This record gives sequence, structure tokens and C-alpha cells, in this order.
Amino acid sequence: MITVLFIVLGFTLTAAISGSANDSILANARQSDLVSLLDDLAQREARLEAENTRLENARETLLGGDEYSALNEAKRRADALGVLAGSETIVGSGIQIAITGNLTASTLIDAIQELRDAGATAIQISDRGLAVRIVANSWFADSPSGVTVSGTALQIPIVISVIGDSSVLVPALEIPGGLVDTVGSGGGAVKITESENVDISAIVPLPNS
Amino acid sequence: MIPAIGLLVGIVLGLLLQPTVPVWLQPYLPIAVVAALDAVFGAFRSVLDGLFNDRIFVISFLSNVLVAALIVFLGDQLGVGSQMSTGVVVVLTMRIFANVAAIRRHLLKA
Repeated sequence: MITVLFIVLGFTLTAAISGSANDSILANARQSDLVSLLDDLAQREARLEAENTRLENARETLLGGDEYSALNEAKRRADALGVLAGSETIVGSGIQIAITGNLTASTLIDAIQELRDAGATAIQISDRGLAVRIVANSWFADSPSGVTVSGTALQIPIVISVIGDSSVLVPALEIPGGLVDTVGSGGGAVKITESENVDISAIVPLPNS
Repeated sequence: MIPAIGLLVGIVLGLLLQPTVPVWLQPYLPIAVVAALDAVFGAFRSVLDGLFNDRIFVISFLSNVLVAALIVFLGDQLGVGSQMSTGVVVVLTMRIFANVAAIRRHLLKA
């Protein structure tokens, strides 16, 4: 009897050890952690599902349609990517921000980040003569009479032209600690104009690859 | 001696068969194992004390396992399953330590 108990003990001991070694991370997680993990997975699944549907649709159109629809799809994507990469000019609704007074490169970077977070599609910075398109690899530096953007020295006053939803972009600049606040406290002035025809004419030449 | 061989046989069987623990048993098995270990150490101690009795050992082994599983089950039903298993493990571990200390005094006189 005792021996039987010991055999059972040894057996369950190894079973318990090998069982807990397998899924210890999930087994030891708390219920709330598991719920959030499950939520994450469900959200991710929904996202992937939506992307799958979109791609399936695109595939259907490309397979079923004639060459024109395939060409149109390709052109549409090329346009969208061109706007993002800064290789296409664009005219659309958005805002123009005129800045006078002191402006440092770091303030400008903050403003650009804020605009991007607010859903800006295309951004251009210009002074009286020069215009620079802001893309993913644009850079900013302080210079004696203004700021240097991607190697182009701009003289203050400058104008930032932004394509996007002005009802989102304007509050993004006016939040406490935002562009309007920072420039205002430095003695400068910011003037925001909403427009249906913001013209972004500067382009970034595509690198030859 | 025979029980020790039994323990080895059980461990070897477990390693060979690689049993999968049923899901409903998973919260209770580790607790039951710790409770059984407590009974085993208690038995070892009573052997050294010269008080060992098979009947008591078998009953204490089984009741230990059952009561430990029952407490954790009750905790699960009350929604404090993990705290309850922690509590049971702490108590059983303290008992194991006390038993091991008694065994050590017997064997090593220290």
C-alpha cells in the first residue's frame, strides 16, 4: 500500500513538473492579464481580417477587371505613395501657418511632429523665396537668420503649408505647450489660415536606386 | 527501502509516459504533490522517532492530499484560488521544513 502511494507520488510529481514546464507563462498569469492578452489578440485578428478583406478585394479587382482598372489601381497607389514620399506636388484643403519672430529648430521639429500626429498628409516649409518639402528623412538645424531645413537655409518669417483636416490640425498647434504657445512666449507670432487650396509645390527628387 | 524503490519507479514511469495533466486537475495537482511530500517527510520523521505506523501514514497521506485539494477547490469557488494555493503551499512548506529539521537532528545530531 505504502509502495503504491509512493509510485503514485513519483508519477504525479513528474506529471506536475512536466505539466507546469510547458505553459508556465500563461498558467501563472493573472485573470486580468489573460483578458487583456485575449483582447490584444482579438484586436489584432480583427485588424488582420480587415487587411485581408482589403487585399482580397484588390486581388479580385486586379484579376477580374481589365488592364485599365489594374493600371488605375497602380496609379492610385503611386499617387498616394508619391504624396507620402514627397515626390508629387499636391493641392488640397489644409492650413497655412505663418511664423514670425524667434523660431528654433527644436520648436519646429515639435510642431512638425504635432502636425504629423494630427494626420497631416503633406508638409512644406517655405520663406519668401525657397520651399522645402518635409518627408521622413528631413532634418532641421538652427542658423543665424532662421532655420536650416534639409540643407536649405530659410529666413524667418516662414510659412508652413500643411495638407490635412484643418479641424484636427489647428487644435494640435494651439494646445498648451504647442507651437503657438512656444513661439508666442518667445516674442514671436503665429498666424494660422485655413484654406481649400493649399499648394505644396516643393518636391523631393527620388533617389536613383 | 521498498517505498524508495516505489518512488523511483513512479518517477521513471512519469518520465517514460510523459502524462498530460487534465485541465481540471491542473490547479490541484501541484498542491496535492506538496501535501503528499509533507506526509512523506512526516512519515520519515516518525520512522526515526520509532513511531511509524502504516495505517496512520496511509490515512495521513490520503487525507493531506484530499484536504489540500479541497481547500484550493474551495478557494477557486470563492474567487481566491491563487491566494489559497499560496497559503496552502506556505503552510505545507513550513511543515516540511519542521520535519526536515527533526530528521536532521536525528541523523546528524545537529
